[in-house]
Amino acid sequence: AGALKERPLEKPTAFRKFYERGDFPIALEHDTKGNKIAWKVEIENMDYHHYLPLFFDGLCETTHPYEFFARQGVHDMLEHGGAKILPSIPQLIIPIKNALNTRNVKVVCTTLKVLQHLVVSAEMVGEALVPYYRQILPILNIFKNKNLNSGDKIDYSQQKRENIGDLIHETLQAFEEFGGPDAFINIKYMIPTYESCMQS
Amino acid sequence: LNKQLNSTVCTIMASQPKSMSRAKRWNESVEEAYRFQLAGFRDERDYLTHNPRAPIDRWPVNGFVKKLQRKDGYYYYYNKRRECAEKDVNKCKLYVY
Repeated sequence: AGALKERPLEKPTAFRKFYERGDFPIALEHDTKGNKIAWKVEIENMDYHHYLPLFFDGLCETTHPYEFFARQGVHDMLEHGGAKILPSIPQLIIPIKNALNTRNVKVVCTTLKVLQHLVVSAEMVGEALVPYYRQILPILNIFKNKNLNSGDKIDYSQQKRENIGDLIHETLQAFEEFGGPDAFINIKYMIPTYESCMQS
Repeated sequence: LNKQLNSTVCTIMASQPKSMSRAKRWNESVEEAYRFQLAGFRDERDYLTHNPRAPIDRWPVNGFVKKLQRKDGYYYYYNKRRECAEKDVNKCKLYVY
């Protein structure tokens, strides 16, 4: 019925608009240091309420350079945000939901990796996400069993960490591990086929 | 004036490396060199001559460099885990003073 079908964005993201206007404190470089962002200000002093949701908004992007700057920006901010991340969680839910809703395999994979990073980025973040499972998990439920049956051939997506079924499994386990005592039952409610990784 | 000039020349000479070799295998000192060289410095010593007041931010878990300020004033942030990929190991230069 088209549940797995891609749903491209109808309008450009706010991230793209801000990026093109030069509103982000990042330097644009066109050299070989391809995997780093040069920040014009110290990340610790940035306004997380403003910038973190904007970078998350860019996760929907599939074209360079927007896709790279959004992904790397999110990872840098999560790695160095500490206690500033938790208060901005409610503002991150809609961008996360939008990214997952595109149902674009690459975007979903990136978002799942970001979610895995998010739950370990600071204390209590995992717990803070539990009330929002209802909005995040439906797409994960749709794609949960999307795995390639290649017989005895090599599935290269496993090496590249692009296998969506495996990534969803890892993400749900991270949610359960860091989500506190209510996490499992809430995951189970949204994804009935999920089995606990904690209770043995 | 001559004495002063001599001492400055001496300090400049002392901060110049005597030799350089390329890394063959990854280890912690290669990772250290990779992080400084990505930001445009030779190593910690070179970084400290450019930013004498700034203390180097390091990850408490393993002591890897966390944040560096480049010569143009922009900041590079590094991850907790290894960043120097296998293909970049031989690009790292290890200096001896």
